[in-house]
Amino acid sequence: MSHSHSSHKPVFLLRPAEWALVAAIAIAIALTALVDANHSYWFQPLDSLRDIARNTALLGIFALGATVVIIAGGIDLSAGSMIALSGTVCATTMLALAPAQMMGFKPVGAVAVAAGCLASLLVGFLVGTLHAWLITAVRLPPFIATLATLVGLRSFARALCESTTAAFTPTKSALINISDPFFKTVRDNVWIPVAVFGVLAIVTWLLLTRTVLGRHIHALGGNEQAARLAGIRTANVKWFAYCFGAMTAALAGLFYMANESVAAPVNQGRGHELNAIAAAVVGGCSLAGGVGTVPGTVLGTIFLRVVIDAVSKIIKTGADVYEGLIVGIVVVIAVTLAQVGQFAKGGRGLLPGALGLCAIPTLAVLCGAIVSMTAGGRIGIAAGVGAAIFLSLLRTWESRRSA
Amino acid sequence: MSVSIGTKAADHADAPAVVMRGITKRFPGVVALADVTLEVRRGELHAICGENGAGKSTLMKILSGVYQPDEGTLEIGGVPARFTGTRDAEKAGIAIIHQELALVEDLSVAANVFLGREKRTALGLLDDRSMHDECGRLLESLECPVSPATRTGGLRVGDQQLVEIAKALSLDASIVVMDEPTSALTESESARLERTIKRLLAAGTTILYISHKMDEVFRLADRITVLRDGRHVRTVNRVDTSPRQITSWMVGRELADHEFRQARTRGPTLLEVRGLTLPWPDHPRGYRLSNVSFDLHAGEILGVAGLMGAGRTELLETIFGAGEPTWTGEIRLDGKPVRFHHPREACDARIAMVTEDRKRLGLFPDLDVAGNVSLCSLSEALRGGFLSRRREEDLVAGPIRDTGVKTPGPHAAITGLSGGNQQKCIIGRWLLTKPAILLLDDPTRGIDVGAKAELYALIDRLCREGLGVILTSSELPELLTLADRIIVLAEGRLTAEFARAEATEQKIIEAATGG
Repeated sequence: MSHSHSSHKPVFLLRPAEWALVAAIAIAIALTALVDANHSYWFQPLDSLRDIARNTALLGIFALGATVVIIAGGIDLSAGSMIALSGTVCATTMLALAPAQMMGFKPVGAVAVAAGCLASLLVGFLVGTLHAWLITAVRLPPFIATLATLVGLRSFARALCESTTAAFTPTKSALINISDPFFKTVRDNVWIPVAVFGVLAIVTWLLLTRTVLGRHIHALGGNEQAARLAGIRTANVKWFAYCFGAMTAALAGLFYMANESVAAPVNQGRGHELNAIAAAVVGGCSLAGGVGTVPGTVLGTIFLRVVIDAVSKIIKTGADVYEGLIVGIVVVIAVTLAQVGQFAKGGRGLLPGALGLCAIPTLAVLCGAIVSMTAGGRIGIAAGVGAAIFLSLLRTWESRRSA
Repeated sequence: MSVSIGTKAADHADAPAVVMRGITKRFPGVVALADVTLEVRRGELHAICGENGAGKSTLMKILSGVYQPDEGTLEIGGVPARFTGTRDAEKAGIAIIHQELALVEDLSVAANVFLGREKRTALGLLDDRSMHDECGRLLESLECPVSPATRTGGLRVGDQQLVEIAKALSLDASIVVMDEPTSALTESESARLERTIKRLLAAGTTILYISHKMDEVFRLADRITVLRDGRHVRTVNRVDTSPRQITSWMVGRELADHEFRQARTRGPTLLEVRGLTLPWPDHPRGYRLSNVSFDLHAGEILGVAGLMGAGRTELLETIFGAGEPTWTGEIRLDGKPVRFHHPREACDARIAMVTEDRKRLGLFPDLDVAGNVSLCSLSEALRGGFLSRRREEDLVAGPIRDTGVKTPGPHAAITGLSGGNQQKCIIGRWLLTKPAILLLDDPTRGIDVGAKAELYALIDRLCREGLGVILTSSELPELLTLADRIIVLAEGRLTAEFARAEATEQKIIEAATGG
């Protein structure tokens, strides 16, 4: 429930940390609009909006799944592989039902499309069930269970793709091209994934804040043993959470497949599970479980995508080059800022002892290297030196304060 | 940071070993210690007595650097000291053997003894042989027949305790704190520990000894300090006092048991337990519970007494369907045999259980007060299939008022409430399920005396309203105050049953120690 762990003060729509995210998003957009030399936010605002909206919706759909799993006290590392598997299952189903049309790049018909999509969602349900079984009956830690499916499902998807193509087409292949007009429509109309994301966000929000199951999810993540002793069937709650996680990833997988007009089990969705977890964490989810909100995750997703877009606009390279770096930095900064109060109150320093001393050159070199790669050598050196001086001063101030 | 020791013995030869002055420590919702002053002489065994929640453990955790006091000063051997962590206290020669043992179960005994202070060879590698040998010598001196290479997690609790003591000895600690060291020990292990303590004292070690076992205290102590509700009551020489006097200082006032003296009206039989046996594989005893039989009536409180490990919790968990499903025997509810596989089924059969260890097994720190209270009855807070904030507030208002929870509002953070109020919230949670049987597992543990009296009144009232209550407690006076009948468990067997009129502490203790 949305008021659970703040005090009993009234909350105006969002919590303070979520308002801070809104502000951060606005600042990132404003900075990009000012700094970007092509001024694409001024001249092609619709293109930029479409881009960000599509990426946000696709990531957001399964970030909502990750949010539910994380609040329930678990973790799902397999979302990226589930995306690949989902696309592959959909494509192979259509190929099996209408091989001639698929190979001739012709419409495969509504029945085949519906069967493909339903098969993907069903496989999502099965994968979620498998996770819940491994975790509650076999008693594997969630990290291990979903690590196994992270590597296993992608390999399974590729094998499925190759054996199906071998059976229904002249050559075996690790790709299946998608040319049905239904998926073209989905690709060309950004409002479709955005609407799906919006509806799913509202449903998830209602689920988590307004239903008994949602309250049980919070209770399970907050204190599993106590939840069981309070008569909550924790295994069933976990079953739901992991199915929700896997099925949202399956849904996202259909959109990724439509978007790229291909089912490509080798690379589709690779590493995306970490982006989803990052979006949830930036939005205020605690990996310890029990804490998190849907508005937080939605804002976290928007923030991540806006920053990635901003960097690609400003630096003029493909967004994918710096995407991982940005996600990493944003997560670290967001979680650090969430506990900035503790540092400010004293007792704890950011740069204590020998470790703090070694962290100064580490951070300075990192900062210098990133800036010199993006803005040129000289500026990079200056940035590195500047960071070193700033951190040294911070350390001096911290050690004075604690003495 | 820490004091430099080494020279202190020479400089302050006659200074007391420890002086704690004006120590105050607050936790959210509770003042754990209020202006406590304690002076411990060099080489004495100083016992610290008090009820649960009196502040004994907190005071010792401050002495050993686990907690920092909010106010007050500390002197070790006449030198002012300020510890920011246990390492500082160790440097000052203080070792603590915690109530909850702090050993790394997967490491060997020797590795635990030298943890954080590993010996190294000239090459800088771990010098396992010398650690093994020294640890072996230490264990031998403690009469501990355990190899230093054994995995620590596989040891019996008594032996683990000796490993902790070996660790203290290896530190050359001049001050050793023992926090209820015999609570989990067998008699022969306790005797062995007493011999060790006498040897340590003979070697000049100062010992602070927390216990509420009076016989032990009066056998070992030179002086006794009594704490109550976080305050220092008195420090006396053992020879000048008696167990009776110490106990009365610990309790402070007669608990208002006369209120509960009027007989309750006993209703029909609710629960019959016959020959309940719960096996315990891989344990020499073979069972956690053996052939336990008793009845519970409506409108009565049945007390379950027993030492730690006697099987009190296991008994309640088995009835509630929360324990191992391997039990045999018969449990009849309203005459019908039942076997619950999940607490949910027990709830549906109108049984409620307030678990021991509130923080670990009862409380949801991320839910607010209302969320904690309504959790088991959420279906009553629905409107049109969705949870309604208003309905939930209305729902929890009743139990919050009836149990006397002091909270700023239904949406306050549960973690901001005191232990007693948290416990009332959990009892309120179960009352909402309208149970016929209430199982209370040590419900007043870690709650201050005032809140205890309120909980007693609450439990008494519920019983008079017709609930059947089974109450376990680690404190005998509590059972004697509340219960109509008391059954006693000793190592999983039911050894006695007393009506309230015939029960005394003496008789119960005899039965609980296997008499």
